[in-house]
Formats: sequence, C-alpha cells, structure tokens
Amino acid sequence: MSYFNALIREVKFTAHDRSVRLWFALIFILSTIAVGFGLIEVERQNTTINALIKTNQQERILESEKLKDWGSSAYYNFHLTYDRPSDFAYAAMGQRDVQPWKHRIRLLALESQIYERDVGNPSIALVGRFDFAFLAAFIMPLVLIMLLYDLKTSEKAAGRHHLLEATAGRPFSFWFLRAAIRVAGLFLCLIVPLIVTGIMAETAISTLLLACLFIFAYILFWAALCFIISAWQKPGSLILMTLIAIWVSTSVILPAGARLMIDQSVSLPSGSDILMLQRETVNDAWDLPREVTMEAFFEHHPEWSSYEPIKSSFEWQWYYAFQQVGDQQTEPLSTAYQEGRLRRNGIATWVSLIAPPSLLERTLQSLANTDLKASIRYEKEVRAYHAALRAFYYPKFFHNEPFDAALLEKLPTFESILH
Amino acid sequence: MTTLSSIKLIKKIWLIAANEWQYWLRSHLSLGATGIFLVLILTTSFLTTAHMDSENHLRSHQQSEAEETFLSQPDRHPHRMVHYGHYLFRTPAPLAIFDPGLDPVTGQAIFLEGHHQNSVMFAESTASADLGGLSWLNPALVYQLFAPLVLLLVGHSSVVREREAAGLLPLLALGISPHTLVFGKALALLLFSLLLLIPLLISSTMAFMSGESSMTLLLLFLNYAIYIAIWVVLTLLVSIAFTKRSTVLAAMTGLWFSFSLVLPSIAVSITADTVPVAGKIETDLAMLSSLRKLGDGHNANDPAFQQLRADVLKKYNVERIEDLPVNFRGIVAMEGEQKLTKVLNEFANLRMAAELSQTEHLADYGWLTPMLAITVISRTLAGTDLAHYHRFQREAEAVRLAFVQGLNRAHIETLSYEDDINRNKNEDAWQRARVDAANWQVLDAFQFNTASLTERINSASPSIRILLAWLIALLGLLLWSCKRVMP
Repeated sequence: MSYFNALIREVKFTAHDRSVRLWFALIFILSTIAVGFGLIEVERQNTTINALIKTNQQERILESEKLKDWGSSAYYNFHLTYDRPSDFAYAAMGQRDVQPWKHRIRLLALESQIYERDVGNPSIALVGRFDFAFLAAFIMPLVLIMLLYDLKTSEKAAGRHHLLEATAGRPFSFWFLRAAIRVAGLFLCLIVPLIVTGIMAETAISTLLLACLFIFAYILFWAALCFIISAWQKPGSLILMTLIAIWVSTSVILPAGARLMIDQSVSLPSGSDILMLQRETVNDAWDLPREVTMEAFFEHHPEWSSYEPIKSSFEWQWYYAFQQVGDQQTEPLSTAYQEGRLRRNGIATWVSLIAPPSLLERTLQSLANTDLKASIRYEKEVRAYHAALRAFYYPKFFHNEPFDAALLEKLPTFESILH
Repeated sequence: MTTLSSIKLIKKIWLIAANEWQYWLRSHLSLGATGIFLVLILTTSFLTTAHMDSENHLRSHQQSEAEETFLSQPDRHPHRMVHYGHYLFRTPAPLAIFDPGLDPVTGQAIFLEGHHQNSVMFAESTASADLGGLSWLNPALVYQLFAPLVLLLVGHSSVVREREAAGLLPLLALGISPHTLVFGKALALLLFSLLLLIPLLISSTMAFMSGESSMTLLLLFLNYAIYIAIWVVLTLLVSIAFTKRSTVLAAMTGLWFSFSLVLPSIAVSITADTVPVAGKIETDLAMLSSLRKLGDGHNANDPAFQQLRADVLKKYNVERIEDLPVNFRGIVAMEGEQKLTKVLNEFANLRMAAELSQTEHLADYGWLTPMLAITVISRTLAGTDLAHYHRFQREAEAVRLAFVQGLNRAHIETLSYEDDINRNKNEDAWQRARVDAANWQVLDAFQFNTASLTERINSASPSIRILLAWLIALLGLLLWSCKRVMP
C-alpha cells in the first residue's frame, strides 16, 4: 500500500512540476502536428494518384484515334503505375520524397523509362518533413534527456536530496519511481496522437502495436542511459553535455560515417552507363540487319521464333523486338544496380544497431512501407506490369492477329499486378 | 566621454574577455567541446571535398565521353540523330565542397532527344544507404547545426556563473557596469566564434582555387559570422535571464533543437501542405491537350502544316513540294520542334515557377528560425540551390533545342526530299538517305557553371535581410536586458 501511496505522491509531484508539464505538452503538440501533417500528405498523395488514374484514362480515350494496329496501340498507350501510401505512412513518409511513387510507362524499352523521376521539389526533400518517425527517433531523446538529467542534481542543488533519500526508505526505488513516471508520461504524450490518428486512418492494429512496442523499447534505452549517467556524482551541466554528446554521436556522426563507408565499400554501376548502353543497343538496331535483332530476341523468346516477317519498310514486330533486346542487354547492369542498392540497405540495417535513432526511424519506415525496400518493391511491380503488357501484346504481334480496339479492354491493369 | 575614460572602458572590456578565455582554457568541457567541433568540421570538410572532387571528375568525364560518342556517330539520316539524342551531366559548383546543397537529392544526368523534355535522373540519395536525414553531413551543416551547440556549451555560463558564485556584486562594486560586463563576455564569445570559422577559410581557399570569386567567399563568411553572432547573443540573453546554470543550459539546449531541428522541418511540412506543387506527370498530362493541337512533326501531310506548306511553296515560287530546292520534311520537322518546344517550355516554366515560389515560401519561415535563413543563404551563394538546379534544366533545354534544330537544318539543306521519301524502298535507298557525319558538329561542349554573383546575391537577399533582422532584434534585446544583470 505504501508503494501505491508513493506512486500517487510522485505522480502529483510530477504533475505540479512546471517544466515537466511544459516538456510533456511540447511533445504532445509536436506529435499531434507530425501525425496531422502526415495524414494530410497521405491524403494528398492518394488524391493525386486517383486524379492521375482518371486523367490518364481520359487521355487514352482521346489518343485512341491514333491506334491503327497493335503496334501503334502499344506505342501510344501510356499506362499509369503508382505506389499508394500505406495505412501507416502518415507516421513515416520515409523515402517518398526522394524516390518516385508514380510512373507512366509504355511498351518501349523499360530501361529508358524506369529511371525517370517525378519526385517534386528537391528543397522539400532536402530539409525533410516533420514526420512522426523523425520526432520519435531524433527529438524525443533530447526531451527525455532534459527531463531526466537533473533528477538528482536539481534536488541536491535545492538541498533536499538527503532529506528525500532519508524519508524514502529505499533511495534507489524512489529515484527509479520518479524517473519511471516521467518516462511513462513522455511515452503517453508521444503515442496518444499516433494511436488516435491510427484509428482514424484505419491502420492495422498489429502495425500500431508493433510501432508502440518499438518506441517503448527505444524510450527505455534512452531512459536507462540517462539514469546511469545521471547517477554520476558530477554537476548537472556535465551530465547534460555527456548525454547530448551521446545523442550527437548516435544520430549524426555514426550514421554519417557509416553511410560514407557503406557507399564506399559497395560500389554500384553508374546510372549513366545503364542509360548509354540501352541507347546504343536500341539505336544500333536501326543499322543492323533485322535478322540479327530478331535472333537475339528469339533467344530469350523461343516461343515466337516461328514468326514470319512481313515484307514491309517498317515492321512493328521488329521495332518492339529491338526495344526488348535493349532491355536484355542492359539487364546485368540494371540488376547489379538494384542489388547493390539492396546490399547497401542491408548493411545499413546492421549498422543502425549501433545508431539507435537510425534504427528506430528505419524500423518505423519499414512498418510504413516507405523504406528503400518498399521503393524497390514498387520498381519490381512496374517491371512486372511492363512484362504483363508485353505478354498481352506479343501474341498479337507475332501471330499477326488483326487489330481489334475492343480487345484493348482486356489490357492488364496495374491493379492486377498488385494482387 | 573623454578619450581617457573610453580607453579605460575598452581596457576593462578586454580584461573581462581575457578572463573569460582563461576560464575556458582551464575548463575541460570547453576545451573538449571545441576540440571535438574542430575535428568534426575538418574531417567533414576533407571528406566532402574529396567526394565532390571525385564526383566532379566523374561527371566531367562522363560528359566528354557522351560528347565524343555523339560526334563519332557514322553518316546517318539526320532524324536518326535527333532520336539518338545526347546526355548532359550536372557538374557540382566549386563551393559544393562546402555546401553540396541539393546535389545529393537532385538528378545528375539528363537524356536530351527530339520531341521530349526528360527529367533529370539518378540522384545520389536514391542509391545511397539510408541512415536518416542527418547522415548527409557536410561542412555547411556542421556549422549550421553544431557551431551553435559548441557555442552554448562553452558560453552558457558566462553571466550566470558570476551570479551563482556571487561574483557579480564585487564586479559591479569595482565600477564595472553591467553593460561593460556583457560586452566583455560578448567580445570573448565573438573571438571564440572567429576561431570556429577558421576551417571555413580552408574550404573557401579550395573553392577559390577552383574558380569561385573572392567576393562570394567573403559574403559567405560574413553570413556565417552573422549566424554565429546570433547564437552568441542568444546565449548571453539566456545566461542573463536565468539564475541557475543548469536552467540556462537546459533552456539553451531546448532553443537549439527547436531552432535547428524542429522548426525547419515543421516549416517544410506547412509549406508542402499550403503551397503544393504539381508533379511532372501531372504537368505532362495537363500539357497533352495543348500538344495535340500542334500536329506531328514526323508527318509532312499533317493538316496542321497546311499553312506552312503554302508559305514555303510561295516563298520559293514553285507548285509542288518535290520542286523545292530544300527538303520539306526537314522544314516540317523544324517547325514542329519549334512549336512543340514552345509548349514544353511554357509548362516547364510553370512547373519551375511553382517550385521556386514554394521554395521562397519556405525561406520566409526564416523569420521563425535563423537556421532556415542561413541554409538558404549558404546554398544560394554556393550555387547549389533550386535556382541552380533549374538553371541546369534550362541550359539543358537550350542545348537540346540547339542540336535538334541543327540536325533539322542539315535535314533541310543537305538531304534531298526524293531520297528522303524513298528511304524505306530498299537497302540502297536507305543508304542514300543519309547525311555526312560532319553535320553532327552542331553539338557544343557543355560545362555547367554557376550563375553570376549578382544573381546569387539577388536571390539570397531576402534571407540575408531576415538574418540581419534577427541579429539586430536580438542585439536590441541584449542591450535592454543588460539592466537585469543585478546581483
């Protein structure tokens, strides 16, 4: 019972501390702002995607008079692909400001289209949005430090330290209780807006629970660190500086050094090499005898090798074959580029174990599907969709099927790739 | 005031400043914090310089390779070269070794071809290991973020220490006025700031050697000095306002992370929400209906070119296209490209103007935190801001139009109409419908350069005014609060 009384007493004490109330209010307001803006941005991206789907559809109808055969149909039909923000993206926008989440593609060589970037204003991407992941991973520890660093020293300075320890009976549990109440209060102020927004956005409960669990573990880590360091018999300012130094090392210096080393040790093919090779292959095809291109094409697509070329000055079949051969030639480079990025990302995951702020931010981003993996997953979906479009058109090309605009209704949709 | 007493006053101020320095020299904390800062800024400067240097070489190399490839193409139909296209690479500005600015988040390469304006591809951040926004450390960020931190660690105690140790009374009793005391402390901190700024001179020297003007470097230095001076005054203000050293430190730390981390990104969120900008696909789709009216430049029979046909026939006083001394298909291609480019540029300009106004809107939040003001000034003076990214896109567009129209001119003047329309008849006809590779010389060597200093100062000046206003307002506040320096 006395323990319960002590708890009540400490809660009251904490509630009466003006500076503690101030920090709690600050975190609550910041958390609300962060998820609020997150929600608005998710909404906007969804609206943009819906509007684009509609406009693209209208555009296709307007262009439909240009379609005279299967070849021109594939040439003039642009298809919209997109990566919708997840139900938890409001908490961590992650890579969505630097990686494209919408692409408009057609049946030409994919490698010449997939690296187009429609990512908006780079000034916005550079500073970065104020999202919940940033708040929780980088700002919250600083506030926690402010709440905990002078727990003992301030009482010492006020001359109450010995009195408190004497009356509390067990000094350790007394300080522990006081710290625990502050940590719990901060945790609540941080996650209540997150959860309320989550309920509004119909986020999966499991995602929310996992996020809270990770944040709780993270807050415990910093609390333990503050508790250990503030136990030093040193002046408060020294304790504060030490804690800030730890924050600076784990949030800035370690990640910066690690990023440099990872980029240095995992080399990627240069993007321009991919583009140049692609262009050379596609352009050379105009000068090469058509058989050379067709042979290279049939090597990968033996199922069409029975195709009889038509005697004409221009042949769509050959045109799309050399587009595909262009992709085939670039495939090793382009795969290496993708795998290299994934490898860098993989190492970064391990390295972030020693940089907890990066670890939490990355974890929340991966929960929100806004990390690098998610954006490469989207790239793969675009590739899969492009392949599905080829699978739709190729039988029509290589069996010389007569053009029938009604059949275009059966074109695969991007939605069908996602499911 | 007589000369003698003012000399005495200056002496007193110097004495207080010297005392403060002696105190710092005895304090492990001050020495440690300064040491760590200097190591950090020097390491970052070195690494950023090395990185930007290698990027510079790589992209310049890629640029000359792209030019060689284009120029070494064999004899061809000129329109083939229009589609063959060309690449441009954005080389970093000399001062990117200090402030890379938008470089990591903007594309480095652009493919130029007829009839399209492509986006700039391959940003460094797309491929780099992602360890959070703060992992993109560079010398400018070290100054913007950590110079204030070191300053507050070293300087927070300046006034409050005297108060806590009950040293104020004797000082004031000695006839040192509160103003003199605060000026002395301020002088000490300002001299300390100059020490922190020395590594900036090293980066500046390197940039100077790669062609940056000394005027830019001086301006950059002055602005960083103002930014740090703002933090000096803030530190003194807070040190005067509170009676406990730990309260001062806590308040300063709170101010530091609010100003440098919280407010800038909140400003970004507000801006992105209140001044949204349409993306490229949205703009492209909006543009298509304007483009449809133009006609297809590949098709000389497109009704959109009827008027052109009549005009050309009249000009050369002939009845039929075949009788023209020039290639009408080339004329159509040139006219089509010209009209198309007009529309493309119209929409591209709209998009860039929208992005620019969004960025200017963001810069207005410099009134909220001096951090935003200095980042804008720094990027603008360094030539790594949005305006320079747009400049690259505009220059790329000029290069695109120039070589495409150059090729179209060759199409008009050196390829006969008859060979042209018969090109698909047989292999021989295909071979005949070509022009000499000497015509590929329409391509000029490209080197991306920063805008003139006047232009850069113009776009930085709103933020410079904001930064100055911060300093003046805080100085006023400091003068006013000197009377609070009472024991």
